[in-house]
Amino acid sequence: MNLEFNEDQALLFETVDSAVGRGYAAGGRAEATGSELGWNEGVWRTLAEMGITGLTITGEHGGADAGPVEVYATLEALGKHAAAEPLLDGVFLPSWLITAVGTDEQAKQLLPALAEGTQTVAVAHAEPGRPWNATPSVTATRRADGSVTLAGVKAPVRHADQASSLLVTASDSDGTTGVYVVEAGAEGITRADGRSADWSRASQVTFVDTPATPLGTAGADVAAALAAAFARARVAVLAEAVGLMESALTLTVEYLKNRKQFGVPLSTFQALVHRAADLYAHVELARSMALWATATVEAADGGADVDLAAIADDAFVFVGDTATAVAEEAVQLHGGIGMTYEAEVAHQAARLTAITESFGGVAAARRRAVASESALRAPSALLNNSGAVTA
Amino acid sequence: MDLELSSEDIEFRDGLREVFLREIPEEIRRRNALSRITREDIVTTQRILNSHGLAVPHWPVEWGGKDWTPTQSHIYASELQRGSVPQPLAFNVSMIGPIIAEFGTEEQKRTFLPATANLDIWWSQGFSEPEAGSDLASLRTTARREGDVYVLNGQKTWTTLGQYGDWMFVLARTDPDAPRKQQGLSFLLLDMTTPGIERRPITLVDGSAEVNEFFFDNVRIPVENLVGEENKGWSYAKFLLGNERNGIAQIGTSQRVFADLAEAAGGIPTETGALADDPQFRASMHRSRTTLLALEATQLRVTGASENGQASPVSSLLKMEGTKALQELSKLRKEAASQDSMLLDTEAVVADEASAVAAAQYLNQRKLSIFGGSNEIQRGVIAKTILGL
Repeated sequence: MNLEFNEDQALLFETVDSAVGRGYAAGGRAEATGSELGWNEGVWRTLAEMGITGLTITGEHGGADAGPVEVYATLEALGKHAAAEPLLDGVFLPSWLITAVGTDEQAKQLLPALAEGTQTVAVAHAEPGRPWNATPSVTATRRADGSVTLAGVKAPVRHADQASSLLVTASDSDGTTGVYVVEAGAEGITRADGRSADWSRASQVTFVDTPATPLGTAGADVAAALAAAFARARVAVLAEAVGLMESALTLTVEYLKNRKQFGVPLSTFQALVHRAADLYAHVELARSMALWATATVEAADGGADVDLAAIADDAFVFVGDTATAVAEEAVQLHGGIGMTYEAEVAHQAARLTAITESFGGVAAARRRAVASESALRAPSALLNNSGAVTA
Repeated sequence: MDLELSSEDIEFRDGLREVFLREIPEEIRRRNALSRITREDIVTTQRILNSHGLAVPHWPVEWGGKDWTPTQSHIYASELQRGSVPQPLAFNVSMIGPIIAEFGTEEQKRTFLPATANLDIWWSQGFSEPEAGSDLASLRTTARREGDVYVLNGQKTWTTLGQYGDWMFVLARTDPDAPRKQQGLSFLLLDMTTPGIERRPITLVDGSAEVNEFFFDNVRIPVENLVGEENKGWSYAKFLLGNERNGIAQIGTSQRVFADLAEAAGGIPTETGALADDPQFRASMHRSRTTLLALEATQLRVTGASENGQASPVSSLLKMEGTKALQELSKLRKEAASQDSMLLDTEAVVADEASAVAAAQYLNQRKLSIFGGSNEIQRGVIAKTILGL
């Protein structure tokens, strides 16, 4: 029983923390997301050189074949600096999908460039005005010559502007959901680029008779693999949220100590100090939840019989609710300055807000969790410690 | 990371369950879940536990302690709560026992420790006073040295289960001229049969009579019943605060209350079906469930850290959030019972016993965020010691 990093994982956190920290001085997120690229090129190169872009990819394809705890350590360090590098959206998530669904040939073709950090892949799943779990309205049509084309609209697609290719979910003529590989420059693609609420890049991507290749065997139902990859992503993003919340709390505490009104520091007002104490308590509980969910994913990878989707929803809802509370309180305790684009805490709040709406969002996860049988199951954080809860 | 107990820990846990669930009468555990345990239930339970060496595991080994690992201590606290076993009397095993073992004379240890472990002596706590609650150091009860005795005058309050007390450990002012209010306090052991003691029960909002006031009028305490040094009482009282943090969040109790409520909800009718199918109830339970998972994970992190010899500063967090979680569940239980919790003190046949006591329990549980350092005090501790505010 243990929820701590081992030595290597602690070292990984420190290494990523210091590498990212060098590229992200205070206010670094605004600069990075405002650049042509949308993130910090130097930081990305460093992460690639350190092998971080290959964390979730097997050694065969040039990766480090690391587990969920290494992903956690990396993303918490990124979150600590509110860094904008698309490790999860552009590398980890696509690598999980490609590994789970793709053919050996596709894995060989796509994964090495991701591992090297020379390319990113955008996952195009969300559709405007439709719930995350709906069957895709984008259609995949097979021509007489066996080629496939896509038609429809995806939005938002994070970091589509820099991606070398897209993994697009679509329904075929049988109504089966598949994932399709589309080259970024393929014909019939139009992109309307914008930004997400967290100032990272996002686009609407429209497909008109766009040539595509099925990921994996044509016609295979990939719904389960998709759901598993998104569950994994929901857990992974919580590490970034923990890093962000920790930093937002630190900034807020510093602000309470330094900001003076009525001739005294704000920290002399108990009403404010107690709110900071509550923030601390919430962040620590959220950290425990995120670590626990990460350990559960690790156990699942080791063959343990756990309901990964349900656990991801539980953790995503709990940490997501905390993220909302921390974002709101950190801005409120900063007062007007916390509302400004120049303020670091504003970017932390914006990114936390975007996280709560990622991968289908907290409200949908809550609906699934509340409707599922697990909602009334007696909680036990240890996998082999149930039973004997009795009066 | 690892989310499983080791096979040694499983064996250890199963050994505890064997005693908790087989040796402690089921009737006692059931009454405990309904907040209806008696003095005899508490005494019986502690003596059974003591006979298995399980009443004072965190005491020094020479006085019956077990020298368990932090994980084992965690499992012990958790299993007691999950099994609804009445806890060994905290005043004995968590408070005065460790104080005497650490600071008492050899004579005091021999006289008191075995009897304290076996609940042959029932201890009461004489700390709080009407003007000294969270601000305990402001207490005014005096103990004036006169030859071989201290003469005690003043008043104590919130003395939980003091109606059963054979002895009381009292924090009293022995030097009224000390420069700071924390100085000049001494820790005294008082035989409750001594003349000059008057007790008044305090009835609580739920109808329970578990707390008392005590008045002392020239009560004579032999000087050999001073613990440690005169005027050092505050440091001994503070020693208690750092002592025995396992179980403070009552996570095991909440897990049991959750499981009982989830089961009961299947049989509680609503306008449209069973409560267990009501979306609002399910949403509240889901919130409780995830909070309990986060709390248990936090407890596991704390336990893991102490396995590695690190002190963890988060006991304030666990106390605050753990008691809030249990209070929230008691509110959900009351809402589930609704009007079935509004007929008390009667022979009438009620829907079910747990529903009948739900509102009274809910009211009683308000104490959780007040005693042992109110949540406002805990926030202050977090702000000062962790955040540096």
